[in-house]
Amino acid sequence: MTGIPLNIDWQQILLHLFNFTILFGALYILLYKPVKNYMEQREKHYADMDKAAEDNLRAAEESKTAYADKVRAFDEETRAERTKLNKELEASRERQIAAAKADAEKIVSDARIEANREKEEIIASAQKEITDMVTGAMEKLTLEQSASDAFDQFLDAAEAREA
Amino acid sequence: MNKRERRRTAVIFAVIALIFMLAAIFTGGGGTEEEPIQSVMRDAVLHDLNKVSLFGLMDVNPGLLAGFIVSGFLILLALICRIFIIPKFKPVPGKIQLVLETIVGLFDGMAKGNSKINKFLGAYIFAAGAYIFTGTLFELFGVQAVTTAGRSISLPAPLSDINGAIMMGCLSYLVIMSGGIAGNGIKGIGKTLKEYSLPISLSFRLFGALLSGALVTELVYYYSALSYVLPVLVGVLFTLLHALIQAYVLTMLTSLFYGQVSDNTPKPPREKKHRRKSSKANAAA
Repeated sequence: MTGIPLNIDWQQILLHLFNFTILFGALYILLYKPVKNYMEQREKHYADMDKAAEDNLRAAEESKTAYADKVRAFDEETRAERTKLNKELEASRERQIAAAKADAEKIVSDARIEANREKEEIIASAQKEITDMVTGAMEKLTLEQSASDAFDQFLDAAEAREA
Repeated sequence: MNKRERRRTAVIFAVIALIFMLAAIFTGGGGTEEEPIQSVMRDAVLHDLNKVSLFGLMDVNPGLLAGFIVSGFLILLALICRIFIIPKFKPVPGKIQLVLETIVGLFDGMAKGNSKINKFLGAYIFAAGAYIFTGTLFELFGVQAVTTAGRSISLPAPLSDINGAIMMGCLSYLVIMSGGIAGNGIKGIGKTLKEYSLPISLSFRLFGALLSGALVTELVYYYSALSYVLPVLVGVLFTLLHALIQAYVLTMLTSLFYGQVSDNTPKPPREKKHRRKSSKANAAA
């Protein structure tokens, strides 16, 4: 190998290569691969944790949105129910007012009829009483004075009353 | 520790350092045989003088032996981590776990950032980065070996050996080509072959960078007068710095070219012609 400049020796190059190949294999198996695997596992573990946290956050956001939707729907439902109940209440009130009015009118009408009837009865009774009083008075007068005068007077009085 | 005690410690430290320096200066040159600096530097480049025996089987460059030692050390370290540390990993990492995860994550991220097909690339640049970084730092420890000529030498960085650098450069090129095949099939080979200078540039970049470090260190340590304070800068800081830089450069270049040749997204249609046409239409108008 003396012809090659710088004393380059192919056999020694191959020995260096052999040496480095063994070193490469040993370092790869003993150090590089286990450390890298551990780092990747840890990275994966934290990535999984991160993903789980993101999933939980997303689920919480979805729950929050669903809850807000439900609350909104419930509010709308309540509002609609309230409106419906208000309308029913209004209708019921109007019906009640109408019925009360009808009752009142009937009562007033009945009262009016009763009053008229009572008035007529009173008038009739009063007339009868007056008649009786007058009759009684006449009878008294007749008894006290002469019967004819009394009778004439009575007739005059009756005629006057009739007029 | 109060001011007086600190001053006393500093004086003691300085006296000890001075004694060592004087001892080294006055005892220098006493050896039976001294290699001239020219010879040391030439051998650092060519590795033609100082060979070491590889387990008694053959004579090899010291860099190869250093490569085996570095690989053995790294494999032992990986084994210890696999048995004692990795099974005790926790979701909230401790200090050692954090270091391991940072290193693996750095190379994995580099591979992922440059290519969609990155499973093999990440593992390769991790091993290459670890080998270059540890191999470069290895020269700091000055592990001694005996050459076949009976001299004592400190083992250099494995990649300051041209053979090691060529292996690393060519292997990186083959890895890049494998990315091209994985991403684009036969077309990927063509795309990789277009970068025909890559194995040479990758190899010689590594060789040049690590050799220059080794040469400067050799130079500094050759003269005992330069062996005080200065090695802290050139020996430790520079070695640390270029260990980091070379590991980063090779892994970055490999992943960059790998991503380039494995990219199979269709090119957007060219707008040049349309522009020309529209400019002509504008001119006609």
